[in-house]
Amino acid sequence: MSKVRLSFLLPLLAFGILALVGAVALYATLSGSRDPAQLPSVLVNKSAPRTNLASLMPNDAGDNMVQLAAFRGQPLLVNFFASWCAPCRAEAAALEMLSKRVAIMGIAYKDRGEDTNSFLAQYGNPFRAIGMDTDGRMGIEWGVYGVPETYLLDANGVVKLRHAGPLTRGVIDTTIIPALEALGS
Amino acid sequence: MSLNRTRHLMLVSILPLGLLLASFLPNTIVTTAANAITAEEMLANPQLEERARNLSKQLRCLVCQNQSIDDSDADLARDLRREVRSQIAAGDSDDAIIDQLRQKYGDYVLLNPPLDPATMFLWLAPFAFIMLGGVIVLVARRQRGIEDVNELDASERAKIEKLLASRNDRDEPKT
Repeated sequence: MSKVRLSFLLPLLAFGILALVGAVALYATLSGSRDPAQLPSVLVNKSAPRTNLASLMPNDAGDNMVQLAAFRGQPLLVNFFASWCAPCRAEAAALEMLSKRVAIMGIAYKDRGEDTNSFLAQYGNPFRAIGMDTDGRMGIEWGVYGVPETYLLDANGVVKLRHAGPLTRGVIDTTIIPALEALGS
Repeated sequence: MSLNRTRHLMLVSILPLGLLLASFLPNTIVTTAANAITAEEMLANPQLEERARNLSKQLRCLVCQNQSIDDSDADLARDLRREVRSQIAAGDSDDAIIDQLRQKYGDYVLLNPPLDPATMFLWLAPFAFIMLGGVIVLVARRQRGIEDVNELDASERAKIEKLLASRNDRDEPKT
Protein backbone atom coordinates (compact mmCIF):
# COMPACT_ATOMS: atom_id res chain seq x y z
CA MET A 1 0.00 0.00 0.00
CA SER A 2 2.74 2.50 0.95
CA LYS A 3 4.65 1.59 -2.20
CA VAL A 4 1.68 2.26 -4.43
CA ARG A 5 1.46 5.71 -2.95
CA LEU A 6 5.03 6.64 -3.92
CA SER A 7 4.38 6.57 -7.65
CA PHE A 8 1.41 8.78 -7.04
CA LEU A 9 3.18 11.07 -4.61
CA LEU A 10 6.31 11.72 -6.69
CA PRO A 11 4.62 13.51 -9.62
CA LEU A 12 2.39 15.33 -7.18
CA LEU A 13 5.47 16.51 -5.30
CA ALA A 14 7.19 17.62 -8.54
CA PHE A 15 4.09 19.54 -9.56
CA GLY A 16 3.85 21.03 -6.10
CA ILE A 17 7.40 22.40 -6.30
CA LEU A 18 6.77 23.89 -9.74
CA ALA A 19 3.51 25.43 -8.61
CA LEU A 20 5.22 26.92 -5.57
CA VAL A 21 7.99 28.51 -7.66
CA GLY A 22 5.38 29.92 -10.03
CA ALA A 23 3.26 31.24 -7.21
CA VAL A 24 6.22 32.99 -5.57
CA ALA A 25 7.22 34.60 -8.89
CA LEU A 26 3.65 35.65 -9.59
CA TYR A 27 3.24 37.10 -6.13
CA ALA A 28 6.50 39.03 -6.43
CA THR A 29 5.41 40.42 -9.79
CA LEU A 30 1.94 41.41 -8.62
CA SER A 31 3.16 42.96 -5.39
CA GLY A 32 5.63 45.06 -7.38
CA SER A 33 8.87 43.74 -5.89
CA ARG A 34 9.77 42.00 -9.13
CA ASP A 35 9.46 43.78 -12.46
CA PRO A 36 10.26 41.54 -15.43
CA ALA A 37 10.68 44.61 -17.64
CA GLN A 38 13.53 45.90 -15.47
CA LEU A 39 16.78 44.65 -16.92
CA PRO A 40 19.70 44.33 -14.56
CA SER A 41 22.40 46.97 -14.97
CA VAL A 42 26.00 45.86 -15.09
CA LEU A 43 26.97 49.39 -14.09
CA VAL A 44 25.86 49.05 -10.48
CA ASN A 45 28.85 49.27 -8.12
CA LYS A 46 31.09 50.30 -10.99
CA SER A 47 32.38 53.70 -11.98
CA ALA A 48 30.04 55.57 -14.28
CA PRO A 49 31.30 55.87 -17.85
CA ARG A 50 33.37 58.96 -18.66
CA THR A 51 30.77 61.43 -19.76
CA ASN A 52 31.57 64.62 -21.58
CA LEU A 53 28.75 66.09 -23.64
CA ALA A 54 27.86 69.31 -25.39
CA SER A 55 25.85 71.42 -22.99
CA LEU A 56 22.32 72.58 -23.67
CA MET A 57 22.91 75.60 -21.50
CA PRO A 58 26.40 77.05 -21.99
CA ASN A 59 27.42 79.02 -18.90
CA ASP A 60 28.71 82.57 -18.70
CA ALA A 61 32.33 81.45 -18.78
CA GLY A 62 31.66 80.15 -22.25
CA ASP A 63 32.14 76.53 -21.20
CA ASN A 64 29.89 74.57 -23.49
CA MET A 65 30.70 71.07 -22.30
CA VAL A 66 29.03 69.11 -19.49
CA GLN A 67 31.34 66.79 -17.59
CA LEU A 68 30.26 64.16 -15.15
CA ALA A 69 33.58 64.47 -13.33
CA ALA A 70 32.67 68.03 -12.33
CA PHE A 71 30.04 66.63 -9.97
CA ARG A 72 32.46 64.53 -7.91
CA GLY A 73 32.31 64.94 -4.15
CA GLN A 74 28.54 64.70 -3.76
CA PRO A 75 25.84 62.17 -4.61
CA LEU A 76 24.36 62.76 -8.03
CA LEU A 77 21.33 61.64 -9.97
CA VAL A 78 21.86 61.22 -13.68
CA ASN A 79 18.60 61.25 -15.60
CA PHE A 80 18.29 60.29 -19.27
CA PHE A 81 15.24 61.98 -20.71
CA ALA A 82 13.82 63.27 -23.98
CA SER A 83 11.16 65.72 -25.03
CA TRP A 84 9.51 63.04 -27.16
CA CYS A 85 9.16 60.64 -24.24
CA ALA A 86 5.77 60.60 -22.53
CA PRO A 87 6.86 58.96 -19.25
CA CYS A 88 9.50 61.70 -18.95
CA ARG A 89 6.67 64.23 -18.67
CA ALA A 90 5.07 62.07 -16.02
CA GLU A 91 8.19 62.06 -13.85
CA ALA A 92 8.99 65.77 -14.22
CA ALA A 93 7.29 66.70 -10.94
CA ALA A 94 9.12 63.92 -9.09
CA LEU A 95 12.47 65.15 -10.40
CA GLU A 96 11.60 68.69 -9.36
CA MET A 97 10.97 67.44 -5.84
CA LEU A 98 14.17 65.37 -5.76
CA SER A 99 16.25 68.29 -7.04
CA LYS A 100 15.80 69.98 -3.65
CA ARG A 101 17.61 67.07 -2.06
CA VAL A 102 20.26 65.96 -4.54
CA ALA A 103 22.02 67.39 -7.57
CA ILE A 104 20.57 66.10 -10.85
CA MET A 105 22.37 66.02 -14.14
CA GLY A 106 20.18 65.59 -17.20
CA ILE A 107 21.17 63.86 -20.40
CA ALA A 108 18.85 64.69 -23.29
CA TYR A 109 18.74 61.43 -25.23
CA LYS A 110 18.41 61.70 -29.03
CA ASP A 111 16.77 65.07 -28.79
CA ARG A 112 17.12 68.40 -30.55
CA GLY A 113 18.16 71.38 -28.44
CA GLU A 114 15.09 73.46 -29.27
CA ASP A 115 12.76 70.55 -28.43
CA THR A 116 14.56 69.98 -25.12
CA ASN A 117 14.28 73.69 -24.33
CA SER A 118 10.55 73.83 -24.93
CA PHE A 119 10.12 70.63 -22.89
CA LEU A 120 11.94 72.27 -19.97
CA ALA A 121 9.93 75.47 -20.36
CA GLN A 122 6.73 73.47 -20.10
CA TYR A 123 7.59 70.91 -17.42
CA GLY A 124 10.25 72.71 -15.38
CA ASN A 125 14.00 72.34 -15.18
CA PRO A 126 15.28 70.34 -12.20
CA PHE A 127 18.75 69.89 -13.72
CA ARG A 128 22.06 71.50 -12.68
CA ALA A 129 23.40 70.76 -16.12
CA ILE A 130 22.13 69.13 -19.28
CA GLY A 131 24.27 67.24 -21.74
CA MET A 132 23.10 66.57 -25.28
CA ASP A 133 23.38 62.93 -26.35
CA THR A 134 22.19 63.69 -29.85
CA ASP A 135 23.04 60.36 -31.48
CA GLY A 136 22.44 58.10 -28.46
CA ARG A 137 26.08 57.00 -28.24
CA MET A 138 26.41 58.02 -24.60
CA GLY A 139 23.22 56.09 -23.86
CA ILE A 140 24.87 52.93 -25.19
CA GLU A 141 27.90 53.61 -22.97
CA TRP A 142 25.60 53.67 -19.95
CA GLY A 143 23.61 50.63 -21.04
CA VAL A 144 20.45 52.70 -21.51
CA TYR A 145 17.68 50.81 -23.32
CA GLY A 146 14.91 53.36 -23.08
CA VAL A 147 14.10 56.73 -21.59
CA PRO A 148 13.61 57.74 -18.88
CA GLU A 149 16.40 56.03 -17.01
CA THR A 150 17.86 57.29 -13.77
CA TYR A 151 21.18 56.46 -12.12
CA LEU A 152 22.28 57.31 -8.61
CA LEU A 153 26.01 57.94 -8.21
CA ASP A 154 27.91 58.28 -4.96
CA ALA A 155 30.46 61.03 -4.25
CA ASN A 156 33.16 59.03 -6.06
CA GLY A 157 31.15 58.62 -9.23
CA VAL A 158 30.30 54.97 -8.56
CA VAL A 159 26.84 53.89 -9.72
CA LYS A 160 24.75 52.78 -6.76
CA LEU A 161 21.36 52.29 -8.37
CA ARG A 162 19.70 52.29 -11.74
CA HIS A 163 16.01 52.71 -12.35
CA ALA A 164 14.55 52.19 -15.82
CA GLY A 165 11.20 53.86 -16.36
CA PRO A 166 9.59 56.91 -14.79
CA LEU A 167 10.27 57.84 -11.17
CA THR A 168 6.95 57.38 -9.48
CA ARG A 169 6.04 58.20 -5.92
CA GLY A 170 6.43 54.53 -5.04
CA VAL A 171 9.85 54.20 -6.67
CA ILE A 172 11.11 57.31 -4.91
CA ASP A 173 9.86 56.20 -1.51
CA THR A 174 10.97 52.58 -1.73
CA THR A 175 14.26 52.81 -3.61
CA ILE A 176 15.60 56.32 -4.33
CA ILE A 177 15.18 57.91 -0.89
CA PRO A 178 16.60 54.91 1.04
CA ALA A 179 19.56 54.79 -1.36
CA LEU A 180 20.14 58.53 -0.89
CA GLU A 181 20.00 58.09 2.86
CA ALA A 182 22.53 55.28 2.63
CA LEU A 183 24.84 57.76 0.91
CA GLY A 184 24.25 60.24 3.74
CA SER A 185 22.25 62.69 1.70
CA MET B 1 8.34 -7.84 -17.81
CA SER B 2 12.13 -7.60 -17.79
CA LEU B 3 12.16 -7.06 -21.54
CA ASN B 4 9.68 -4.29 -21.18
CA ARG B 5 11.78 -2.64 -18.53
CA THR B 6 14.99 -2.79 -20.52
CA ARG B 7 13.24 -1.22 -23.44
CA HIS B 8 11.98 1.42 -21.13
CA LEU B 9 15.36 2.18 -19.64
CA MET B 10 16.75 2.56 -23.13
CA LEU B 11 14.05 5.01 -24.05
CA VAL B 12 14.61 7.07 -20.93
CA SER B 13 18.34 7.28 -21.54
CA ILE B 14 18.08 8.00 -25.27
CA LEU B 15 15.61 10.85 -24.93
CA PRO B 16 17.99 13.32 -23.23
CA LEU B 17 20.69 12.43 -25.75
CA GLY B 18 18.38 13.28 -28.62
CA LEU B 19 17.45 16.59 -27.06
CA LEU B 20 21.09 17.40 -26.45
CA LEU B 21 21.87 16.76 -30.11
CA ALA B 22 18.86 18.80 -31.22
CA SER B 23 20.10 21.76 -29.22
CA PHE B 24 23.21 21.88 -31.41
CA LEU B 25 21.18 22.33 -34.58
CA PRO B 26 21.72 25.78 -36.07
CA ASN B 27 19.02 28.07 -34.78
CA THR B 28 18.55 29.74 -38.15
CA ILE B 29 15.37 27.70 -38.46
CA VAL B 30 13.71 29.84 -35.83
CA THR B 31 14.59 33.30 -37.10
CA THR B 32 13.20 33.67 -40.57
CA ALA B 33 11.66 37.10 -40.06
CA ALA B 34 12.58 39.80 -42.53
CA ASN B 35 15.54 41.72 -41.22
CA ALA B 36 15.15 45.34 -40.31
CA ILE B 37 18.42 46.53 -41.78
CA THR B 38 18.31 49.35 -44.31
CA ALA B 39 20.55 49.81 -47.31
CA GLU B 40 22.37 52.89 -46.05
CA GLU B 41 23.39 51.11 -42.86
CA MET B 42 25.35 48.46 -44.69
CA LEU B 43 29.11 48.39 -44.93
CA ALA B 44 30.56 48.68 -48.41
CA ASN B 45 32.83 45.68 -47.96
CA PRO B 46 30.62 42.58 -48.36
CA GLN B 47 32.89 40.50 -46.15
CA LEU B 48 32.71 42.98 -43.27
CA GLU B 49 28.97 43.37 -43.84
CA GLU B 50 28.63 39.58 -43.55
CA ARG B 51 30.42 39.71 -40.20
CA ALA B 52 28.18 42.55 -39.05
CA ARG B 53 25.04 40.61 -39.99
CA ASN B 54 26.34 37.56 -38.22
CA LEU B 55 26.99 39.55 -35.04
CA SER B 56 23.62 41.32 -35.17
CA LYS B 57 21.88 37.96 -35.17
CA GLN B 58 23.52 37.03 -31.87
CA LEU B 59 22.67 40.27 -30.10
CA ARG B 60 19.42 40.92 -28.32
CA CYS B 61 17.35 44.00 -28.93
CA LEU B 62 16.98 45.23 -25.34
CA VAL B 63 13.74 47.07 -26.02
CA CYS B 64 11.83 44.24 -27.69
CA GLN B 65 13.78 41.59 -25.77
CA ASN B 66 12.84 38.55 -27.83
CA GLN B 67 14.26 39.74 -31.12
CA SER B 68 17.80 40.12 -32.31
CA ILE B 69 18.97 43.57 -33.31
CA ASP B 70 19.10 42.15 -36.82
CA ASP B 71 15.34 41.53 -36.74
CA SER B 72 14.18 44.56 -34.84
CA ASP B 73 12.94 47.88 -36.11
CA ALA B 74 13.48 49.52 -32.73
CA ASP B 75 15.54 52.67 -32.55
CA LEU B 76 17.99 51.19 -30.11
CA ALA B 77 18.46 48.14 -32.34
CA ARG B 78 19.43 50.44 -35.20
CA ASP B 79 21.85 52.30 -32.95
CA LEU B 80 23.42 49.04 -31.84
CA ARG B 81 23.74 47.83 -35.44
CA ARG B 82 25.49 51.07 -36.25
CA GLU B 83 27.73 50.61 -33.20
CA VAL B 84 28.66 47.09 -34.29
CA ARG B 85 29.45 48.28 -37.81
CA SER B 86 31.55 51.20 -36.68
CA GLN B 87 33.60 48.86 -34.49
CA ILE B 88 34.03 46.38 -37.32
CA ALA B 89 35.14 49.22 -39.55
CA ALA B 90 37.60 50.24 -36.82
CA GLY B 91 39.12 46.76 -37.03
CA ASP B 92 37.86 45.19 -33.79
CA SER B 93 37.46 41.41 -33.63
CA ASP B 94 34.00 39.85 -33.24
CA ASP B 95 34.84 38.74 -29.71
CA ALA B 96 36.01 42.21 -28.73
CA ILE B 97 32.79 43.77 -30.03
CA ILE B 98 30.58 41.30 -28.19
CA ASP B 99 32.65 41.76 -25.07
CA GLN B 100 32.27 45.53 -25.22
CA LEU B 101 28.50 45.29 -25.46
CA ARG B 102 28.44 42.76 -22.65
CA GLN B 103 30.26 45.25 -20.44
CA LYS B 104 27.53 47.79 -21.08
CA TYR B 105 24.38 45.68 -21.18
CA GLY B 106 25.45 42.50 -19.41
CA ASP B 107 25.02 38.91 -20.58
CA TYR B 108 21.41 39.81 -21.30
CA VAL B 109 22.49 41.30 -24.61
CA LEU B 110 23.41 37.80 -25.82
CA LEU B 111 20.57 35.75 -27.29
CA ASN B 112 22.42 32.60 -26.28
CA PRO B 113 23.07 32.85 -22.56
CA PRO B 114 26.51 31.56 -21.54
CA LEU B 115 26.74 28.55 -19.23
CA ASP B 116 27.71 29.92 -15.82
CA PRO B 117 26.52 29.36 -12.24
CA ALA B 118 23.61 31.79 -12.70
CA THR B 119 22.26 30.06 -15.80
CA MET B 120 23.18 26.51 -14.76
CA PHE B 121 19.63 25.75 -13.63
CA LEU B 122 18.23 27.06 -16.90
CA TRP B 123 20.47 24.81 -18.97
CA LEU B 124 20.16 21.71 -16.81
CA ALA B 125 16.48 21.93 -15.90
CA PRO B 126 15.20 20.11 -19.03
CA PHE B 127 17.47 17.14 -18.35
CA ALA B 128 16.58 17.13 -14.68
CA PHE B 129 12.88 17.08 -15.52
CA ILE B 130 13.28 14.28 -18.07
CA MET B 131 15.22 12.23 -15.56
CA LEU B 132 12.63 12.90 -12.88
CA GLY B 133 9.94 11.76 -15.30
CA GLY B 134 11.95 8.63 -16.05
CA VAL B 135 12.28 7.82 -12.37
CA ILE B 136 8.55 8.28 -11.87
CA VAL B 137 7.73 5.96 -14.76
CA LEU B 138 10.19 3.34 -13.54
CA VAL B 139 8.87 3.43 -9.98
CA ALA B 140 5.31 3.12 -11.25
CA ARG B 141 6.23 0.19 -13.50
CA ARG B 142 8.09 -1.68 -10.83
CA GLN B 143 5.19 -1.44 -8.45
CA ARG B 144 2.72 -2.64 -11.01
CA GLY B 145 5.05 -5.62 -11.55
CA ILE B 146 5.02 -6.42 -7.88
CA GLU B 147 1.26 -6.39 -7.83
CA ASP B 148 1.13 -8.75 -10.80
CA VAL B 149 3.08 -11.52 -9.15
CA ASN B 150 1.09 -11.45 -5.92
CA GLU B 151 -0.10 -15.00 -5.32
CA LEU B 152 -3.41 -15.81 -3.76
CA ASP B 153 -3.05 -17.24 -0.32
CA ALA B 154 -4.74 -20.41 0.86
CA SER B 155 -7.82 -18.76 2.33
CA GLU B 156 -8.42 -16.69 -0.85
CA ARG B 157 -8.06 -19.85 -2.91
CA ALA B 158 -10.58 -21.69 -0.77
CA LYS B 159 -12.98 -18.77 -1.07
CA ILE B 160 -12.81 -18.80 -4.84
CA GLU B 161 -13.21 -22.58 -5.01
CA LYS B 162 -16.28 -22.24 -2.88
CA LEU B 163 -17.73 -19.46 -5.03
CA LEU B 164 -17.08 -21.37 -8.22
CA ALA B 165 -18.62 -24.49 -6.75
CA SER B 166 -21.77 -22.70 -5.66
CA ARG B 167 -22.04 -21.08 -9.08
CA ASN B 168 -21.74 -24.46 -10.79
CA ASP B 169 -24.44 -25.79 -8.53
CA ARG B 170 -26.77 -23.01 -9.45
CA ASP B 171 -26.14 -23.15 -13.18
CA GLU B 172 -26.67 -26.86 -13.44
CA PRO B 173 -29.90 -27.51 -15.25
CA LYS B 174 -32.47 -28.98 -12.99
CA THR B 175 -33.52 -32.42 -13.85
